[in-house]
Amino acid sequence: MQRDLETKFLSDFEQNQNIAHKICRIYTTNQDAHKDLFQEITIQLWKNYSKFRGDSKFSTWMYRVALNTAISLYRKSTRAVKTQDISDVAFKIKASDYDDTEEKQLSALYNAIHQLNDIEKALIFLYLEDKPYKEISETLGISSVNARVKMNRAKEKLKNILNP
Amino acid sequence: MDLLENYKKVWDNQPEETHKLSAVDIYKMAHSKSSSIVKWIFIVGVLELAFWLSINLLVPDSFYKIYSDLNLEKQVSFFMILHYIIIIVFLYFFYASFKKISIIENTKSLIQRILNIRNTVKFYVYYNLAIVFLSSLALNIVLMSDSDKLMKVMNPENLSIDINQLITITIISQIIAIIIFMVLLWFFYKLIYGILLKKLNRNYKELSKLESAT
Repeated sequence: MQRDLETKFLSDFEQNQNIAHKICRIYTTNQDAHKDLFQEITIQLWKNYSKFRGDSKFSTWMYRVALNTAISLYRKSTRAVKTQDISDVAFKIKASDYDDTEEKQLSALYNAIHQLNDIEKALIFLYLEDKPYKEISETLGISSVNARVKMNRAKEKLKNILNP
Repeated sequence: MDLLENYKKVWDNQPEETHKLSAVDIYKMAHSKSSSIVKWIFIVGVLELAFWLSINLLVPDSFYKIYSDLNLEKQVSFFMILHYIIIIVFLYFFYASFKKISIIENTKSLIQRILNIRNTVKFYVYYNLAIVFLSSLALNIVLMSDSDKLMKVMNPENLSIDINQLITITIISQIIAIIIFMVLLWFFYKLIYGILLKKLNRNYKELSKLESAT
């Protein structure tokens, strides 16, 4: 029983690990911290996997657990970084077969997101991942009206950082 | 096109993580030890509960002699039993609030639950402080109201000391002890919980902002 659960978890997680990597990139700014947060997310996912009923997609469930870990459980402060070396931000984005302008834009985007607070990061991340407002408000535990207001503010803030 | 829509395309096109983990790596990671804030709050909470419990248990028997000198043994043992019952109730709440934590909940309720544990421990400490304060107050009242008893307790060798001087010394030394104790405790709280809860408080505030207005 435990074996089956483990095998299923490993395959579910392996396929969706990019979600966790993206969250780590948003909430951390160096390789060590990225690994640290990724490990904590993995631990939390496995610890709670038996409670995953399968009535939603694994990825949906994973967004919630991973974001909660980054926002509430991860010990190190993920406070906004004011100045950031661009090359450091792009520490793990491979340049090959990837357009140069796009690469720069992606770095700039991560750079800008790093300057937001934890909640704004979550909002922007869910927006970039195309999540509906209903899911965003349910994930964060705020009303959908409030989610919209906060989202608009976070977007404005991000725009101002990207295009001052 | 909207500036962010443009960036969103870039986001969608971003390459996958280059250091992908294998199932074996994930397995190892999943079974490693967590170092989450909740775990630290639990450790600090247990230490606090243990600290106050050990103060209760480590008080030397000679200390209780003062109560027998004052003929207060019955009252004191009644309050001790009550005290331990209250401690057990606190331990239960501490444990129960941990059990309630679930990362599957939404972010706001999760932070709320974590902060609740902190509140349980806070009340436990307040309770203990109040007990220390009230019991010494009661003891002082009993002592001060009867100078013979005071002489007997504070000056067992029967040295020739002025009673007023004795009262002053008793009060001043108690006040100094309380101040030192409070300052130490305050530092401990500011430091430990300041570090542990800063992020949670900040995020909770951010989530709660506007909520009442909408």
